[in-house]
Parts: sequence; C-alpha cells; structure tokens
Amino acid sequence: MNLESHELEELKSKIGREPTSTELQIVAAEWSEHCSYKSSKKHLKMLPMDGPLVIKEKGYDSGVLDVGDGYVITAHIESHNHPSAVEPYGGAATGVGGVIRDILSAGTRPIALLDGLRFGDIEKDQHAKWLFKNAVTGIADYGNCLGIPTVGGEVEFDECYTNYAMVDVAAIGFGKKENLIKNHAKKGDLVVLLGGATGRDGIGGSQFASDSLESEDRSAVQIPDPFIEKLIIEAILEARNEKLIHAMKDLGGGGLSCAVSETADSLDIGIEMDVDKVHTRESDMHSDEIMISESQERMLIVTDSEKLIKLQDICKKFRIDCSVIGHVTFDNKMHVKKSGKTIANISTDIVANATLLDLPSKKPIYLENIENTKSFPLLSDYSEIMLILLASPNIASKIWVYGQYDHEVGIRTVVKPGYDASVLRLDNGKFLSIKIDGNPKQCYINPREGAIGCFEEACRNVVCTGAKPIGMLDHLQFGNPKDPEIFWTFLESLKGLTDFAKDFEIPCIGGKVSLYNETPKGSIKPTPVIGVLGLIDKTPLRIQKINSGDCLIMIGNTKDELGGSEYSEYIHKFIGGKCPVVDFSDSKKNMNAVLEIIKTELIKSAHDCSKGGLAVAVSELCMTNLIGCTVSLENVPGDKLDNDKILFSESHSRYLVTFEKKNLQNLEELLKKHNVSFKTIGEFGGESIQFTADSKPILDLSVDKAQKTWLNSLKEMVMHA
Amino acid sequence: MNVGVVVFPGSNCDRDMFHVLSDVFNLNVHYCWHAKPLPENLDAVVLPGGFSYGDRLRAGVIAAHSPIIQDIKKISEKGIPILGVCNGFQILVESGLLPGVLLKNDSLNFMCEWTNLTVENNKTPFTNQFELNQKIPIPIANGEGRYFVDDETLDQLERKNQIVFKYDQVVNGSSNQIAGVCNDDGNIVGMMPHPERAVESEINPHDNKPSSLIFESLLKKMDVNN
Amino acid sequence: MVDYCVHVTIENKPGISDPEGKTILNDLVLKGTHQNVSKINTAKMLKFTITENNKESAQSKVREICDELRIYNPMVSVVTIDAFDA
Repeated sequence: MNLESHELEELKSKIGREPTSTELQIVAAEWSEHCSYKSSKKHLKMLPMDGPLVIKEKGYDSGVLDVGDGYVITAHIESHNHPSAVEPYGGAATGVGGVIRDILSAGTRPIALLDGLRFGDIEKDQHAKWLFKNAVTGIADYGNCLGIPTVGGEVEFDECYTNYAMVDVAAIGFGKKENLIKNHAKKGDLVVLLGGATGRDGIGGSQFASDSLESEDRSAVQIPDPFIEKLIIEAILEARNEKLIHAMKDLGGGGLSCAVSETADSLDIGIEMDVDKVHTRESDMHSDEIMISESQERMLIVTDSEKLIKLQDICKKFRIDCSVIGHVTFDNKMHVKKSGKTIANISTDIVANATLLDLPSKKPIYLENIENTKSFPLLSDYSEIMLILLASPNIASKIWVYGQYDHEVGIRTVVKPGYDASVLRLDNGKFLSIKIDGNPKQCYINPREGAIGCFEEACRNVVCTGAKPIGMLDHLQFGNPKDPEIFWTFLESLKGLTDFAKDFEIPCIGGKVSLYNETPKGSIKPTPVIGVLGLIDKTPLRIQKINSGDCLIMIGNTKDELGGSEYSEYIHKFIGGKCPVVDFSDSKKNMNAVLEIIKTELIKSAHDCSKGGLAVAVSELCMTNLIGCTVSLENVPGDKLDNDKILFSESHSRYLVTFEKKNLQNLEELLKKHNVSFKTIGEFGGESIQFTADSKPILDLSVDKAQKTWLNSLKEMVMHA
Repeated sequence: MNVGVVVFPGSNCDRDMFHVLSDVFNLNVHYCWHAKPLPENLDAVVLPGGFSYGDRLRAGVIAAHSPIIQDIKKISEKGIPILGVCNGFQILVESGLLPGVLLKNDSLNFMCEWTNLTVENNKTPFTNQFELNQKIPIPIANGEGRYFVDDETLDQLERKNQIVFKYDQVVNGSSNQIAGVCNDDGNIVGMMPHPERAVESEINPHDNKPSSLIFESLLKKMDVNN
Repeated sequence: MVDYCVHVTIENKPGISDPEGKTILNDLVLKGTHQNVSKINTAKMLKFTITENNKESAQSKVREICDELRIYNPMVSVVTIDAFDA
C-alpha cells in the first residue's frame, strides 16, 4: 500500500518530519479513495441532506429518519464490487456484513436488506454466470443466517460488466429514538475492539477497491462469518439496552486505521492504543498489518471502566472476544504503540481528512451523437418479440434469486419481493416502503437524465404501495475519476440527482461513492443506484387479485423515448437513441394522484411502468394474476407514436392502475381533479395478453405460456446450457 | 400458562415466536437461554427457527449437544407439549427426540416460499383444533428441510400415526412429502414450515386462520391440563 | 489405460480463516471431554474416477480439470490431489 509521491510530500510537510512505516500505512489506508472520498467529497455537498425527519448526529455511518412515536429508521447503502469480482461468494457475503454493521453502529436493529446485482451477459458468458450464481448464494447464506430478511433488490446484466461484478447492498434498521447511540467520549474512556479476531485477510482492501482491477493476483479476500456477526448484533443490542456504549464504529475499509482515526476526529478526541492488545488470528502479525487488516465482523466501542465489566459479561455470554486496545486522550492524536513503544503518533485531523481533489471534467465525445434516434422496422405482429423479451435475463422474473433469500423472517414483510416495492410493518403501526433502482443503459446514453430516471423510478415503486417518499440513498458507481470524461458523467449524474431531490424535497440520508470500477475492456457504464424509502401512515395498498371485467387505467404520457430500452438494446442490439426524460411537474402531479387514489381504496393495484415498457408492465399484471387483458394502443396517453414505441418505450412517470369497473367514474373524477394525463386503456378477461392498434391485433400471447417462460427463464439460464 | 422459547446462539426466529405467543395468543412467554437450566414452571416449550451455531457441520447438531436438551428430554417425558419449528425441528431430530433426519433440499438451494400443508394427525397438542386433512397455507424458509427416513421407519411412522403434516405437492424431495412429525407419545412435534409467520393477516397474503389453529390447539391442550 | 481414484481436497489457504472449523472445535468438540484437540479445519472432498495411463497422469489431468473449471477458487482455496489405484 503506497501514497502517491505528492501525497507523501504533503504528509511530511503536515507533520514536519519523516513518517514512520506504521504512519505511512495508516495514512495510505485512510487517504485512499474508498475511505477519504477525496475525488467526490467536494461535489457531494450539493445534495440536500436535511429534512424535517432527518436526525443528525456526529459519527453516524447510516442515515437516521424520525418515523414518529419515538421510533427511528436507519438506512445505508454500500457496495463490494472489487472483492465480489474475484471471489463472488465471500465478496458479496461480506458486503452484506459491512452495511449491517453500519446500521448497528447507530444503535438500531437491522430489519431488512436489499441488493442490487450486476454482471456481464449470462447468456453467453460462463464466467458471468459463475459470478452471478455465487454472489446470490453468498448473499443468501449471510442474510439468511443472520435472520435479516432480504426483501428486495434488482438484478441486471450488461456487457459492460464482463469479468466484473457489481454488488450493492442497502440495509434498513429500526429502533427507539432514545436508544440511538449518542457518540461521545470522555478523557480516560476505554477503547474496545469487539468481535472476530484480526487476521491477514483483507489486507489492503480499501486500496484495492480504489485501484482498477488489472490482475487477479490479489490477496484482499475476506472470509464471511455470519454466525459471529449474528452474535455481535445480539451482544451490541444488549449492551445498547444496558447503556454501556458511549460511541461505536464498525471496522470496514481501512480496518483499525480508519475506525480509530475517524472516531477520534468526529468526536474531537485523541486515542492512544497498543497493537499488542488486539486479539489476532495469527501470532506473527506485523503491527502494520494489524492496523490495516480488513478482517470482517469487528466493532470499535468506546466505554468506561465501570461499564466495561458488564460489556465483558455480555461478550462472555455470546462467546465473542473483546479486547481493551486503548483509551481516550485529549490531544487529538492517534497514538499507536507496540509493547509500550510509539510506532505512530499523528494528528487525527491529518489522518482523517485527506486533501480533497478538484478533478477536471470534460463532456465525453461518445455522447455527441448517441441520442440520434434510429427507427426499427415496424411489424404487424409483436407476439414473438414479446416472448423473447419476457425470457430475456433483465426482464425475466427474478424469483430464482429472491426465492433463495429468507424474505419473511422478522415477521414484518407485508408486501413481499416480486412487486413494485417491498413494505415492512413498523412497531408504531406505520409502514415502511423501500426500493432500489439503477439503469446503466439509460445512464450511459444520458448520465443526467438516466440518474434522475433511477431516482424517479424508485419513487414510483414506493408510491405504488401508497407510500410518500421520505428519504433517498445514493450509490454512485463509476470508472476511473482521473479520466475527465468519466468524471464528467459522475458530476452530471450527481447534479441531476441533486435537482430532483431538491425539487421533490427528498433528502439524501446516506450514500456511497465507488470509483475505479474498470474491467479489462475499460470503464463500466455510469451506474448510480438509488434507494428510496417511503412512509405509509395508515394502511398500505393491499394488492387484490384482478378478476375478469376489471379495468386498466394508464396515468402518464408515453413518449418517443426508446433510448436505453430493452427493446432497443436486447432485441435490436442498438445502444443509443433518445433517453427518457423526467418532466418534474408531471412526475409530481402523477405521484400525488396515485397516492390519493390509493387512499380512497378505489383500486386493486398500482404498478409502475418501466423496463420493457407498457407491454411488459401489462404482461406482468396478467402473469401474476393469471388472467388475460386487451389493451388498445390508440388509447394510450401521449403523442401519436409508432406501435413499437408505444409498446416498448420506457418513458418515466407512468403508472398502471387496476380497479373494478364500478369505480371508473369516481376514479376519473379524482384523476381529472389532479389534472393528470390518463385514460382507460384496457379490460381484463380471457386467457391471452392482447394489444390492438386500430382494432387490429398486433400482439397476442397466451398468459399461461408467457408466465411459464417469464418465471423459469432465469433459472434455466443459470442451471443449464 | 407459561411457555418457554429456547434461544441458542444463532437462533433468529425466537423474537418472532415470542411476539406471536405473547402478543397474539396472550401467553406468559419466557426466553430460555441455552446455557441456563430450563425453568421448572413451563407448561410448553418451543424451539424456534434460525441458524443455531451457524448451521455448521449439520443444521441442529451442535445445539443438540447443549445441556438444555437434557432438561427438555426430562420434561418431555412428563408429557409437556414441545414444538420445534424449522431449526428447532432439526435440533429435535439431531438430539434423537424425533425420528428421521433433515437433508439438503433437492434443489440444493435455500428455499423461501409459501406452500400448502395437509394435517395428517389431529390428535397432537398442536393440531387438536384441526379437521383431519385440513389445509394450511404457510411459508417455508430452509436450506436443509428435506425430511428423510428409511422405508422401515416410514412404515412405523405411518402405523403409529406419527406423520403430522404433509406438503400438498413435491416441495423439496421429502420422504412421502412429510413436513412435520411427532414422537411416539405425540407430545413432541417438529415441523419445517413457520406457523409464526402465518398467524397474522397483515403479513399472510392467503388465510391466517389455519396456522392460528396450531397455537389455539396448544391453548386448548393447556386449558385441559390445568 | 486403467481406472484411478483421485481425491481432491479443497480447503482454505493457510492464514485464511475457517469459521466452520472453529465453531465445530469450540462449540462441539471442546465442550465435551476431548481437550487434547487443538484445531479442526473443514474441507470439501471430491472423488474422481478417471481412466489414464498412470497415476501421475491421472493426478495431473484432474488438476487440469480443477483449474480449468474453477472447481476451487484459487483466491481463497488450495487443493491437494492424491491418486490411488481404483
């Protein structure tokens, strides 16, 4: 692990002497991109982070929202892309472990996980299939063992991830406001390391995450131990109940170096510690290795000598190790000793605050003509294309994935995976709705509008359950930021997200930046992943089964926006065209209208229209309800367009609402009042999914056949061929 | 009436079971930590689901060696009702309190889904309120849930009416689609599906009444005993 | 050409933790009366039956298969390959 030469000069001038080897290791870990956010931090400040429900406290690794009646929700998102690309099982599993400890650090119990997975083309690429399969097993084995339900997520395949893996994990916590850890420390307080032993695994991981993946010859692999993580969770929550914790931090990237320096810096204290006190797995570890090891399942706790005895009793009960490694001082220094001899003594302010960069940016050349549209040959029958789309890896049902995750444990899951957003019941009678969304295909064509689209899609999903969006998590994943063209796409995405968040008054409560996501063939497509949390005060929309004679209203306009669509990319292998653009005013009107009609209980279900466009959204309703539907394309709201554009365009702000015919008039009145663009486009019944244009059928597919294809396709891709 | 919920390191459905027994069925519920002796005043004991000891070596085998299992054996001989759910079932099987073994599902994957059970024995303390052959929509969530016994034992189970629940269809390759069994005396019942996840209508998308009968049966039994 | 039995043992590299082995040691074996056990490592074993000219080629062929098909992940695991007369 090395500092760049100018960084070394900077360090020398700041401390006024030559750094020791341990200091060099500590600073290199903490100044890495992964820990310091040095490339992005200046710009991230643009995101709105305050709101009426946001609770802020120094040293929190997760966002905290007040959900009323003395309860809080915590949320965070992380990725584990580089480790998962070389060892998908362990990489994905330890990714889950890390984000859970961020939730735990605030003093809340983790109650749900969501994960976003992205790989290369699993239809052609055996390696992508291997990565996918093992990442899913890793997540399942970890989350299931802990008893934290994985309630949602997304899976996407794109050639830009060939030989790579994107594993994003979001975690949600819940607890009493009075139990939140108020990070503080007094002089003489003790610093305790609790959990798994420190070993050589994961040495240099944060640095690794900040390098492009050039060779597989890395040793930064971490072994997951969900059993000890479960014991840590229970031990910490018991210690929290007993008020034994003054301050707490998870050991993540950069290991002890980062946890100690960041804790000291955020609490405005110093910490003196001795590496000999750290419980290690191997007896011959060098002190520098101990300082930067990224062994999993460890927590740093600040307590006092009286409380320590109780804390040790709890650790004994759960048979987890805990070592007093140091104490709090007031010189604001991170002072590391070995056998009483100083091996590092440096201001925490210097360690924890790398000099932030202001990297140059430049609009990429590839964007100049990418939004030029291309017309595809019009067909008289789209049935076959429809079946191909339903079987395609990005659109096929993800039941093979979420069926391996325990999504019921904790008995909170009201709306299960497979619908728009998942809904959890909370102890105060309210409900939390959550969803994460990404769309690298659109973000590649238009980094700004694509990112806004991800944000709006996650909002739409949450709105479909009857929830009002109250907070956002952003995970910004890009290639090498030193490439001005890549940095430009990062900035554009960030600006787009900022504009939407400000306009809709949805605060960003947590986030993460992951850069240097490069494959041997170059950078990944811009991959922001957005999580949205929504709150339901009374009852969520209870999805009812659709029966024959029920009607379908579409809200929102369909536009000439095939860019980045599955139809364009999967069927016609064309990357380009007009990227869908969110009209903020329409978006807001439509959200409010959908929320109100859900409240009036006039509808059976609300479904967002996104990947695969209207054709796929209608098919999903038919397949999950095992009923046919006939839709007239000329009734679809929006400009007059070619049939393929109406069927497959992925325009935003669109919703499909199903209801009993007798409610039609009431619904129409309500929607008119909201001044939204809408129309009844179809009626349910029969056994086939039918679309007509000018009274002529242009798509006709048996529901049974469509459903079997859609449900089984992904499993078959993984297990066979 | 006092019910104990046994907690091992790695149990993770203990809190769910506690909530259902105490908040839905108004019982006096006590967590029983595995390293402490079992309280003496219990009228029933539940071993909840989860991953005791991380399911290492084989699901349930390490917990089956806990001292508390000896206490459970002792009270089971007095006829006190004992229910093992999921990992609790695996522990009862590994400790020899119930016949058979639980193997990896034939999909080799962890499976979390809703399924339908049929009640095969309505004489146990957990099924006395059911009609014979009544259906129960209920979720499963396990990786090692495939119940296996040899043909001879299977015959014996059938003869002695020890098969309590069967799956309605082939779910994971279990012998005769068995989802739950009881001991010879009928007071110890083990089942892979999770009734505690199905008794509240808010989180049950199908019908919560059949699963509730499992606990109502226990209430009835304890009512008779007292 | 004769049949050989080739045992492939896959285990974590030295220095990489083995949580399962540790749990079996601490929570099962050492809780009993067997205090003289100091370490348990878990491993996975595959038994190949392969037709080859001699033991050496049976062994090297199986190694080739393991490498080619990623039967173990060299990032975390090592394999030991032993050939026997079938």
